[in-house]
Amino acid sequence: MLKVLIPTIMLFPTIWLSSSKWLWTTTTMNSFLIAFISLTWLKWTSDTGWNASNSYMAADPLSTPLLVLTCWLLPLMILASQNHINSEPVNRQRMYITLLASLQTFMIMAFGATKIIMFYIMFEATLIPTLIIITRWGNQAERLNAGTYFLFYTLAGSLPLLVALLLLQQSTGTLSMLVLQYSDPLLLNSWGHKIWWAGCLIAFLVKMPLYGMHLWLPKAHVEAPVAGSMILAAVLLKLGGYGMMRMMVMLDPLSKQLAYPFIILALWGVIMTGLVCLRQTDLKSLIAYSSVGHMGLVAGGILIQTPWGFTGAIILMIAHGLTSSALFCLANTSYERTHSRTMILARGLQMVLPLATVWWFIANLANLALPPLPNLMGELMIITALFNWSPWTIIITGMGTLITANYSLYMFLTSQRGSIPEHITNLSPSHTREHLLMTLHLIPIILLMLKPELMWGWCN
Amino acid sequence: MLSRLSRIYPALSRVRLSSALGSRFVSQTPQSSASGASVPADLRPFAPPLQDSHGHAEVSPFDKNPDFHGFHHDEPIVDEWNMKLAFFFSISLVIVVGSTFIHYLPDHGMRQWARREAERLIVQREAAGLPVLTENYYDPSTIVLPSSEE
Repeated sequence: MLKVLIPTIMLFPTIWLSSSKWLWTTTTMNSFLIAFISLTWLKWTSDTGWNASNSYMAADPLSTPLLVLTCWLLPLMILASQNHINSEPVNRQRMYITLLASLQTFMIMAFGATKIIMFYIMFEATLIPTLIIITRWGNQAERLNAGTYFLFYTLAGSLPLLVALLLLQQSTGTLSMLVLQYSDPLLLNSWGHKIWWAGCLIAFLVKMPLYGMHLWLPKAHVEAPVAGSMILAAVLLKLGGYGMMRMMVMLDPLSKQLAYPFIILALWGVIMTGLVCLRQTDLKSLIAYSSVGHMGLVAGGILIQTPWGFTGAIILMIAHGLTSSALFCLANTSYERTHSRTMILARGLQMVLPLATVWWFIANLANLALPPLPNLMGELMIITALFNWSPWTIIITGMGTLITANYSLYMFLTSQRGSIPEHITNLSPSHTREHLLMTLHLIPIILLMLKPELMWGWCN
Repeated sequence: MLSRLSRIYPALSRVRLSSALGSRFVSQTPQSSASGASVPADLRPFAPPLQDSHGHAEVSPFDKNPDFHGFHHDEPIVDEWNMKLAFFFSISLVIVVGSTFIHYLPDHGMRQWARREAERLIVQREAAGLPVLTENYYDPSTIVLPSSEE
């Protein structure tokens, strides 16, 4: 753990001591080196599955893919932000990169924590840099409103979790994940226990977000700068899924009864957010709502607590992290040229930027789960697990899949095809940096097809 | 010639030839008719970008640096070095070397070991004349149960 965490912390002096001319170069290269070192986590050397550096931090097959994804995204966020932050004063540029590096630090410590309370603290700590990124570098005045929604939705969900963790510590005497997995099942039979069960999960369901608790997400995505959207969609939402998978181990007897309403909400959310996407005019909002739908499937897969459900959930989380981040990058390249997120005002771009259209096409196909991409593998495993749990779910998941394909193609056709609007008179061509950025999002998705066991999690 | 092409490929008449390097301009004129008279109008040099009341206009970074890679607006050397280093560290190091490292990782999840161990046990049990699988995980004769008095 420390071989990645210490270089990440050393990014802070690097950011503030680099010359302004080479600031972006040094930070990008350092973060790529950290991403390279993080690949060593994928080497599975222990019998228990935990690779522990000390009693506080360890990586296991569930957290490893998410840790590697976190480290991979920092250089991509820096690359994506280079164009629009470059014009700001150099100290503000340094501050921006510092916030991104601090987010990576907190997330490594969250995914690598062995104590649930440490995970909780880091889970909450990620709010601060994200909030500053949204409210300071957002595009419109509504960014303050979006920041408020983001903060209060997440905090309102998280406070019951803190109380639930204190109660768990009191009843079991430990909050270590290494010990809790071997402890006796808790005798959960009273109403108080049912409220405790809900408290343990609500924070993560808000973070994912579950349909019904999702209103903060489109606002946050729409107002955030490109790096904020990338990190939010790719990793911060996955903190919710990861936390749920960690907590489900301890909630076993009650989950069979209490999970029903949440599974129904999650699956209903897949259809509803898909239908919302079909009527969206704002490009970033459409991608944000599609994230809610995909994470609804993940929530369903986790809540039924089967090996296939868990495996499908983690595969879909990784695949969706790369895909949605790529889509936000593409939305940003379009926004930087047309200065509009409204799809009808920035359409027909295939005529002007044909290679960017290729990236749009591949990213959209990944979003609608084209075989043989990991997106499809994750979705199919979850759909199969849900069908095994209740055959009726196939109607909802099947409709959800069709609607997802519909809105993905709608997004592609609206933004790329058709005639160019008359107000677009001067568009600069795509930059090498943007092509590199898209390559670095999509190559890992393609490579993961060849070795999917890296992200199968526990159920190996 | 151009008008004939424009009938085959209407998009051609919509995209203007650009005088400024690296910028793509899109015509505002309606599509040209079949007559050749409109061809010279299509090939007129394009007007400079519109300016606001302060005389500001959006300047393309390609005007300063025709080989702009999207990394640094003002200094071509920094821009080029940034591009080269980004490609080296991301593609050559992380993607190529990283993929090779992952490909040659030993036995992910000990699945190959589990397979070998299972095959060894099958051979061992068949040699001993035992069934490959029994209904009991543990040998019942090794389990000592407490007596009824205890």
